[in-house]
Amino acid sequence: MSTRKPSSSPAPGSVGEYLRAQGISRRGFLKFCTATASMMALSPAFVPRLVEALEKAPRPSVIWLSFQECTGCTESLTRSHAPTVEGLIFDAISLDYHHTLQAASGEAAELAREEAMKENWGKYVLVVDGSIPLGNPGFSTIAGISNVDMLMDTAKGAAAIVSVGTCAAYGGLPQADPNPTGAVSVQDLIKDKPIINVPGCPPIPVVITGVLAHFLAFGLPELDELNRPKVFYGQNIHDRCYRRPFYERGQFAETFDDEGAKKGWCLYKLGCKGPTTYNACATTKWNQGASFPIESGHGCLGCSEPRFWDGGSFYKALSVPTGDLGQTAGYALAAGGAVGIAAGLLARQKKAQAVKDHETVTVNDLHKGEHS
Amino acid sequence: MSATLERGINAFKEHLDAPIASFFSSCVHCGLCADACLFYTETGDPQYTPIHKLEPLRRVWEQEYTLWGLFKKAIGLARPLTDKDLEDWVPLLYNSCTLCGRCSMVCPVGNDLVYMIRKAREGMSASGNAPEGVKGAAKRTIEIGSPMGVRLPALKAQAKHVEKDTGLSVPFDQEGVEYLVMMSSMEIMNYPEYLEAIVRIFHQAGKSWTLSSEAFEATNAGIQIGSSDIARDIVSRIVTAAEKLKVKTVISPECGHAYTALRWEGANLIKRPFTFQVQHIIEVLDELREQGLLKTEGMEEEKLTFHDPCQLVRRGGVIQQPRNLMNLVASHFVEMNDSGKMNWCCGAGGGVSANEDADEIKMKAFNRKKEQLEELKVDGLVTACANCRIQLEEGMEEYEMELPVYGLTEMLAEHLVKDK
Repeated sequence: MSTRKPSSSPAPGSVGEYLRAQGISRRGFLKFCTATASMMALSPAFVPRLVEALEKAPRPSVIWLSFQECTGCTESLTRSHAPTVEGLIFDAISLDYHHTLQAASGEAAELAREEAMKENWGKYVLVVDGSIPLGNPGFSTIAGISNVDMLMDTAKGAAAIVSVGTCAAYGGLPQADPNPTGAVSVQDLIKDKPIINVPGCPPIPVVITGVLAHFLAFGLPELDELNRPKVFYGQNIHDRCYRRPFYERGQFAETFDDEGAKKGWCLYKLGCKGPTTYNACATTKWNQGASFPIESGHGCLGCSEPRFWDGGSFYKALSVPTGDLGQTAGYALAAGGAVGIAAGLLARQKKAQAVKDHETVTVNDLHKGEHS
Repeated sequence: MSATLERGINAFKEHLDAPIASFFSSCVHCGLCADACLFYTETGDPQYTPIHKLEPLRRVWEQEYTLWGLFKKAIGLARPLTDKDLEDWVPLLYNSCTLCGRCSMVCPVGNDLVYMIRKAREGMSASGNAPEGVKGAAKRTIEIGSPMGVRLPALKAQAKHVEKDTGLSVPFDQEGVEYLVMMSSMEIMNYPEYLEAIVRIFHQAGKSWTLSSEAFEATNAGIQIGSSDIARDIVSRIVTAAEKLKVKTVISPECGHAYTALRWEGANLIKRPFTFQVQHIIEVLDELREQGLLKTEGMEEEKLTFHDPCQLVRRGGVIQQPRNLMNLVASHFVEMNDSGKMNWCCGAGGGVSANEDADEIKMKAFNRKKEQLEELKVDGLVTACANCRIQLEEGMEEYEMELPVYGLTEMLAEHLVKDK
């Protein structure tokens, strides 16, 4: 397949054709592809390949299952980007089942799911948000079917599974100590399917669409050791934080209303988890690139990391030196010096005493014990 | 009073000084000193590594003078020194060390190991852990006047023989002369040629000199046993005699450690400068040669080499002088490997020759000299230390080598221009 020349007319039933039908111009489509490529840190040479791949890719059937969740992930995806191209690419997939969004309910809805599964067996993408309670299957059911049964059943025919949100990816808030429902993540239950974790509470919307776009165009993205796509989760918030220079200079906000906070100094001491959190917030930002939590004056909670609820207070610093480092070093130096001088004086005194205690050795003192 | 462990440890504490503290702190445990030591190279036994010989002193330093050592002692990690420990170290600190100082030359961090051994012996002697032979030598030097028990009448008798043979007088107790000549008992007992040579050389040079009936013995068993108190007593006798006779120069005989005792340790022991200078006989003879006062004739034709006494070359820097003198009377003078400041010791200095317990190991150590001599294939060996000379002669007997050994002074005397 030539990748050099993007075809001008999308294949029938493809993502491209659907977008045209929705009134998205080719120019708009190319802009989307360019933005997506740059967001995924692909080289510009990949833009035509992405365009071509998306134009030809058949609209995949997507089944979205929501378990123990707060709907925040869906809110994130739909509300904030509804009028944008990203939102439309979301529409461009054939979302065959999503119990929050779909109009149908009850048996009709479940019928839609079963039909989509049957029609696209082995090819549909399963998106999951929310964790799965194992403590008692009755804790969370949909149309009388427990979450675990529905997941295991639906996963069987899926080409891949995308765990959206920290709950689906790692267990999230439902799993927080003492984990009353026995919540587990998708990857705790399913071992035989490719799983892409898109954690965050909620994840950044364009990250969700970006992952889907990548999956459509190029297949599975490269994943890190926590099964997160490296293109979005490869970098540390702290390393990309615009407040990093203040950290380097040791300028920290000590409270949320002190001078440092007003001047926008580093929030490390206020519990910012940026140094241990891997996500795209500091670069991609939220609300169409408006800002991200640190920019709004609050430290990162580390929501895209496993067990972030149980990592101690959000306002407890990761680790803080006990005091002023220079001062501490100064005291240590002074203490060390004092001990050294004391030891030196002691040694001097000891030697002086030894000289004082000297008894002249004569040739008659060279033998041990009784001797003249 | 008797020697006790407490006195020994007190002596260690007293003699531990800033140089020793810095030496121990800077030792990098490289082990290079082992290969510089005759007793290691000839036995291959690592216990003879010079720095290891200093373990008792090092332990006292660590436990008494370092913070870490005090801490280790406080929590019971460091075992205090016992009398048994010191006893175990007698073979290392006395029998297998001639204070030759070769280890000090090779230490890459500049530790003066022989300085430390000398100081370690202070604690050994004060605790009664010196070898019997060296104790006896010290006692005889103090009580009789010489380590071999030689008394003044013996020297007087020898002087008479010399006067008869040379027709020249042997002066005793002459005030205001230039040189006070000291003897070693070895020369009085075994090498009477030395005194005869002195008489004839000074006569020819026209220099005034004298012996002292109060102090004729230059050797110092106090230095060998490692007791500053005893060494001071012995040095003081010479200082008193020399100052009484108002001599300009005191001449150390052909004896290595006698030279070290007088020239380097003496003034420090009595804690004031001497009113005279101290020279080794070889230094004096080379000065006479320079001044044209040492007139010789004829040359030794046989192939000769020179054995450098350690105290002369390494502690004293007297390296060129004996070579000038050798070339004056020997036409076929060849150098040994490592000659000069890195020369290998004879194996019996620093009190080893007075120590019967070291008889076996000193012969093992002599093996090095034997190999050096065999390599050179010389007809004769010259040296300038009576103690080296005894060891060389005994060693050659032990290894069945036939090689004559000469004293440099007497060899020069034999070539003096005859009176017309």
